[in-house]
Amino acid sequence: MTEELLKKADELLEKAVFAAAVFQQFDQEQTDRIVERVFKAGFNNRVKLAKMACEETGIGNWQHKVLKNVIATQMVYDDIKNEKTVGVISHDEITGITEIAQPLGPIFAVTPVTNPTSTVLYKTLICLKTRNPILISAHRGAVKSCAETVRICYEAALEAGAPEDCIQIIPAGSRDFTHMIMSHPKIALILATGGTGLVKAAYSSGNPAIGVGPGNVPVFIDVSADIPFAINNIIISKTFDNGTICASEQSVIIEKHIEKEVIAEFEKQQCYFLTPDEIKKVESIAISPDSGTMNPLIVGQSATVIAKRAGIDIPGGTKILLAKLEGVGKDYPLSVEVLAPILAFYSTKDYHEAIKLCIDLNYLGGIGHSVGIYANNEKRIMEFSQIMNAGRIVVNTPTSQGAVGGIYNLLPSSFTLGCGTGGKNITTENITARHLINIQRVCRRKPNDKFFAFDSSKYLDESLDADTIINEYNKNH
Amino acid sequence: MIKFEHFPGEKHLICRFSGRLDTLICISLSEEIQNKLQELKQGQSETNLLEEKIDFDMKDVTFISSSFIRICLIIFKNSQKGNFAIINCDPFLKKIFKIAGLDDLLRVS
Repeated sequence: MTEELLKKADELLEKAVFAAAVFQQFDQEQTDRIVERVFKAGFNNRVKLAKMACEETGIGNWQHKVLKNVIATQMVYDDIKNEKTVGVISHDEITGITEIAQPLGPIFAVTPVTNPTSTVLYKTLICLKTRNPILISAHRGAVKSCAETVRICYEAALEAGAPEDCIQIIPAGSRDFTHMIMSHPKIALILATGGTGLVKAAYSSGNPAIGVGPGNVPVFIDVSADIPFAINNIIISKTFDNGTICASEQSVIIEKHIEKEVIAEFEKQQCYFLTPDEIKKVESIAISPDSGTMNPLIVGQSATVIAKRAGIDIPGGTKILLAKLEGVGKDYPLSVEVLAPILAFYSTKDYHEAIKLCIDLNYLGGIGHSVGIYANNEKRIMEFSQIMNAGRIVVNTPTSQGAVGGIYNLLPSSFTLGCGTGGKNITTENITARHLINIQRVCRRKPNDKFFAFDSSKYLDESLDADTIINEYNKNH
Repeated sequence: MIKFEHFPGEKHLICRFSGRLDTLICISLSEEIQNKLQELKQGQSETNLLEEKIDFDMKDVTFISSSFIRICLIIFKNSQKGNFAIINCDPFLKKIFKIAGLDDLLRVS
């Protein structure tokens, strides 16, 4: 069995390596033509693919998945279309340094069940833009919709003259096979979007990897915020595809003296505050008691469906379930990440308590990911931003759509959000085309005048300290 | 796109390629090469490897596709050890075979 899998992996990778070799010959114009054609093909199929993904996974709703496909095509394309990714990408007369972009080679892209077609579209576009062949591993719950996305992209790419096998989908198989591909010596990079286990496996594979960490996004509503606006934005975000974006809000934190106003506004905008008994019931279906993490069966389900499964009655048309909690951690199961329209709600005695609570939530499984703040006080926005450990501090904006970029701000549009070292990632940036090139630097001779004017034998004299040498070194300059 | 130069006395076939060897062109190229090899194999057992030394001359080639790489591999597999080589590559083409991991195997120069 292992030998058979190994043979299959070798065959896939041989094709990918040939594609990588052939891709080397493409100039910027040819590359951009391929990217444009694939963008249009993906965009033109945005509705069909969204419906397929929704039907296959049973997660979220197709209308919002259409918007995800739009972000993954239109917004990503807008973001990368004018970027130089082939050959000489910059030259600085002053430093004498010229930068040259080189492709990486075959990229193994692991995609999640929550954003299947959009992640395939986005990763395919950024790989093609950088002349890297892509091998896609679809989540076992989204194989059909991912395969169809790959088919559409690949046909469009070939029509535009792309190398054969520049986009491949690996056959749905065992976890062993995925790991085999991950650690295959011919893989140049793994782009891992998925759960913690998967990302850890990618980092442990021996190949370079860009992974993402999990989120647990606290949102602080400051007293200076426009409360109805803030609540409306939080709802837009948390109900987006039923909360399946990892940057979606997980908890709302306020100061006690605005509690009444905030609760009234949530209720006015069709959100429901659970009673303590109802919180227990929701916890029992939303959180796995063994692991303390979210139950996959409620991921991307609507508030109505979740309430029904929990056996509680809520008003028709309820958008979000809110659980008023007193603390953070394993004794408060709903304080962890839940990719569904359930929000933890905290009311604290003052601003400092609120921020301290945000720190606790930020560090409860969401280090380095994203946080949100609603405020009209720049000092507080900056204070909050410097205290939090997050790649994205999203201000007066829905965090789901804000963190992925392209709609509410000018962050690069991305479905792979770096979480920095806190999330065990190499970067806090939104991953895009520029992360998928090797940059070579041609460094021309620009002698360091100070160094050559300085008597370097003085470095050998132990009696000369740093101040003496630095003074001498800088003399007459 | 391809010209054959056969030196029967020396059992040596040179295939001189030119231009863009893209996927489409490679379909007809593959056929032409197969026909030529059949011709050379006349009198030889079907199962035997080719007796001819074969060189692919890349002097005038401006682009190669994955299909062309596959043609190279097929000819390599049908040739006796050390009898197949890819010659006159410019540095850029040499790099493509290097990235494909085939430069040693196919004796690319």
